Amino acid sequence: MATSLRLYLTCIRNTLEAAMCLQNFPCQEVERHNKPEVELKTSPELLLNPVVICRNEAEKCLIETSINSLRISLKVKQADELENILTKKFLRFLSMRAEAFQVLRRKPVQGYDISFLITNYHCEDMHKHKLIDFIVQFMEDIDKEISELKMSVNTRGRLVATEFLKQFV
Amino acid sequence: MAGTGEFVEADNAEAIITRIEHKSRKIESLLKQYKPVEALKTALEGSPPNTRDERCKSANWIVVHRAIMAIKDVDGMFSSLDPEYYDILMKYLYRGLSTGDRPTCDQCLRIHEKLTERAGLGCILRSLADTVNTV
Repeated sequence: MATSLRLYLTCIRNTLEAAMCLQNFPCQEVERHNKPEVELKTSPELLLNPVVICRNEAEKCLIETSINSLRISLKVKQADELENILTKKFLRFLSMRAEAFQVLRRKPVQGYDISFLITNYHCEDMHKHKLIDFIVQFMEDIDKEISELKMSVNTRGRLVATEFLKQFV
Repeated sequence: MAGTGEFVEADNAEAIITRIEHKSRKIESLLKQYKPVEALKTALEGSPPNTRDERCKSANWIVVHRAIMAIKDVDGMFSSLDPEYYDILMKYLYRGLSTGDRPTCDQCLRIHEKLTERAGLGCILRSLADTVNTV
């Protein structure tokens, strides 16, 4: 189980290291504009093949690259309804504070839970290997966070139920 | 010009699919003889290069998938696989990873790690950048 997670993260790390070759590229259609090409997808010659890396049926990662930007979308494992709700709320909380993260996208791509958008400006300001470390660390921590949240919800529910039902004993 | 191109395509597609069926029979026999590396080599060579036809690509993918799942010893495989097959293998690995089927993904992730160690990041980048010859 742990090995498959390690392999999955290694694969994503290697793919990101190869794909994160971004350079400044002003917009071809509109002068004086500079847009992340991966978002617009207007010119096919500026885009690389998108790649989907699945760990299993529930978890996958979509990596789309272009000449000046890279978009990573993650789908997090959600085993039951409670995890579904927790994941949605938690990731929405993070996405709304996307300004603070800089590389986070405000809305996830259709079909995924959370998305990152890395542009050439980010690569110029920050170290490439640190950006990749951040993404991989994020993926590891998300699972832990969601399990912790789930456990605390269950514990609290149990405490409340015990207290409530004590009056009927 | 475009018309004749498509005509040639359709003709070729049938020929390619017959060739792929031929290949799959050969691969089955190789797998029965416990030669998974040979099977993989046969599957990878003669991959349809410029076909747009999805059927040819799917047919070839099924064959390659069979060969990939039969491999047990990944390190041993790399010692006997020629470097010229690394790029095409990487493309097929990404196709396998996009399927989402658990055993396929496990096997593809295992091979991907070893292949990256062997072939380096250039192999990954070539499979990402090649928009003309896709699998």
